[in-house]
Amino acid sequence: MSRKTDVLIAGNGLAGLMAGYAAAKKGAKVKIVSEGMGNLSISPGCIDVLGYDANGKRLETPWDGFGQLNDEHPYALLGAEKVKGALTEFTSLLSSKGLALTGAQPEDKSGTNILQPTIMGTLKPTWLVQDEPGAIEQLEKAKRVLIISMSGFRDCRPRFIASQLARYPAWQDRIYDTVVLPMPFSDLGRSINALDLAHFLDRAEGRDWLKSRHKGLGKNHDLALLPPMLGAKPDSPIRSSFAADLGCPWIEMLSVPPGVGGLRIRHALVDTLVDMGVEFYENAQIREGITKDGKAHSIRLHASGRDMEHEASTFVVATGGIVGGGILLGEGTATEAVFGTALTVPADVDDWSDPGIFGKHLISSLGMKVDKSLRAQSLDNVYYAGRTLGGYDYAAEKSGHGVACATGWHAGLLAAEQALGGNQ
Amino acid sequence: MKVRINPDKCIACTTCVANCPVSQVTVKYMGPRMIGPAYERFRLLAIPEEESLTYCSNCKNCDITCPQGVPVSSINMLARAEHASKFGSSLRDWVLAHGELQAKLLQIIPASLKNFGMLNPLTRYCLDRLGIDKRAPLPKFAPKTFRQMLRKIEQPKLSKKVVFFPGCFVDVYDPQTGLDMVWAFNRAGYNVESPDSFECCGLPMIANGFWEDGRKRARANLKTLAEWRKQGIQAVTGCPSCALVFRHDYPDYYPDMTEEYGMNMLDDAQDFLLGCLDSGELNLDSNKTPEDVKYIYHAPCHLRAQGNGLPGLKLLRELKGVKVEEANAGCCGISGSYGFKKEKYDIAQAIGAELFEKVRDSGARLAACECGTCRVQIQHGSGTKALHPVSLMRQRLDPDYSIKE
Repeated sequence: MSRKTDVLIAGNGLAGLMAGYAAAKKGAKVKIVSEGMGNLSISPGCIDVLGYDANGKRLETPWDGFGQLNDEHPYALLGAEKVKGALTEFTSLLSSKGLALTGAQPEDKSGTNILQPTIMGTLKPTWLVQDEPGAIEQLEKAKRVLIISMSGFRDCRPRFIASQLARYPAWQDRIYDTVVLPMPFSDLGRSINALDLAHFLDRAEGRDWLKSRHKGLGKNHDLALLPPMLGAKPDSPIRSSFAADLGCPWIEMLSVPPGVGGLRIRHALVDTLVDMGVEFYENAQIREGITKDGKAHSIRLHASGRDMEHEASTFVVATGGIVGGGILLGEGTATEAVFGTALTVPADVDDWSDPGIFGKHLISSLGMKVDKSLRAQSLDNVYYAGRTLGGYDYAAEKSGHGVACATGWHAGLLAAEQALGGNQ
Repeated sequence: MKVRINPDKCIACTTCVANCPVSQVTVKYMGPRMIGPAYERFRLLAIPEEESLTYCSNCKNCDITCPQGVPVSSINMLARAEHASKFGSSLRDWVLAHGELQAKLLQIIPASLKNFGMLNPLTRYCLDRLGIDKRAPLPKFAPKTFRQMLRKIEQPKLSKKVVFFPGCFVDVYDPQTGLDMVWAFNRAGYNVESPDSFECCGLPMIANGFWEDGRKRARANLKTLAEWRKQGIQAVTGCPSCALVFRHDYPDYYPDMTEEYGMNMLDDAQDFLLGCLDSGELNLDSNKTPEDVKYIYHAPCHLRAQGNGLPGLKLLRELKGVKVEEANAGCCGISGSYGFKKEKYDIAQAIGAELFEKVRDSGARLAACECGTCRVQIQHGSGTKALHPVSLMRQRLDPDYSIKE
């Protein structure tokens, strides 16, 4: 028995999990090592591909913006076809776990970004959402809109949402009705959030509680806007029955953390990977990548008071960016955390950011510089994915999960191909 | 309380909340972020404790999921200890925290009488009034402790040796698992010692706020380990929670002890055996040819928290004719003494519900899990017998041995 694995993945956010899925599907032996679990489980779980171009102009469809990307942008390295391929793999995996993602199919040329309402009453361009399939066209067409929340849910206030939405021209001439259902919990002593409700509605008592209160509530409406409360599992039973009971199609507004939708995606991915025999090493600090003869040889982990070295043929580094710990900042230095590659940054730290908060900040797109195979020049058996990569500003352009999904998938595929080819 | 953990690494991202088993089933718990790092700032201002702290089960999923490396559950346990030191603890919590002491005091009474005394309806009624739920699956005392039995069995004379930390569950309630472990180590070429100077790891005390009692156990255990380490002999345990306490909690909670006795490692026995498999010391060949079998494996949270993967599962998957499904259904809910408490019993069952369903649906006749109280909970909730992976290994390989199902 050898403890060496084919592909070792550092990080278990969306990029790491997608890499694991791709590599395992190729037949490679996969190990995922991580400290914490990235931000997927608190994300609203919509997949942004590209919402704005580099000048801040909103894009009708992500593919319109692909031609103008800078050469180092992860999408420019992969090309649109590979991005679409990864998204197709992702949606079919989720659908096999009972979570249908709605949105245009990548091959659909007329497909556009969805302008999804948030619980702040803003509209966000995104590509795939977890809404009821019939509801998407109602986002444009609906005349009468119902906004639902619960008493005690401080982050989701229907009348505030209505007044905010009405500031958008497309949402101006609509009729808004708001309903605040009573608080389902007593003696709480704190405000509730969408995740509380999602867990509650995953239980039979929660569904019984709701049944008597929402039945027919939307029968005079074209569309209902909900907080993301319809279950925390990819296949929560309430998701399939809710529209019929309510009387109109629904969408779940995108929420601040915990955003629930990401948790559903995470469950679906982890369940799939566990069934494929992928090994997880959780709660371990990654101390360093070890190289031998010009190749990456192993990763040294530290956990519960001791170090352990994990060998592999190939590696995927998906440890996140500055906040996630994948990029380490020092005074005038920036370093990739695992294999220690120094990133090129201006010597003066003042030049790393723009004085205006919505300006172009260098640190927002700071990360590993890679080639089309997602490898850096130094080590030919290490692939990079997700926010560890540089060249894109996910917050400004709305591309976070899209980049994670596409680069994760392709890094995993390439790492598996190299590992299996090398072993034969 | 001298130890404090700085809460300021927390960026309030709520990843721990999204993955907290208790938060999934009850809103009574304010959640790990609020009760851990956020409330810690109020504690530093000496503002009175928040009641819902008692709902933390110390399962450590918050620590596992935190992207910033905040030991949330440790903050909670320190707060609980501080509160108990000021305001005292309930008799119920004392009883649940000091099972080891009670077992020692009751040692001269035969197991059958003890079990009748503890498990009859009248006692269960009284315990229920005390706050130990009458529905909870209290384990039965074994006729002899593991360490008493170990002294009686004759091990082959082997050149190498390990020290085995049994943990209270194996020692008092489940000595057979300990004997299976001895069999496995003998097979790999190691004699097994299990000195009487080992005490409870202290986790039940730490989790119930009996800080100083935990410290005493830490001292006794680390002192014993240090003596064996001087002889170059490695110490192992089959219990993930005991291992976690030695490796993670002692240095965090009692750093002065680590200074006094050095960093003492208690290794995962299953990982050690995997190492033996790698080195060729252990082989899994057998002339016993049992039918092909499927097990369902549950990964204890306290094992996942150690950053060393799931060696027990790997070991099982090395056995011929064995198919193992990983349950991947989160926490079982029991968390040591948590699920026995009257106000927590229903919470614990609700947490474990997904696991119980997976176990039942798997079609496996046996479940596998390293943790003793997880096994009790799995059997209680699913009706499927649960055994330690090393016991299952022995069942597959040892021709003179069978496990009653």
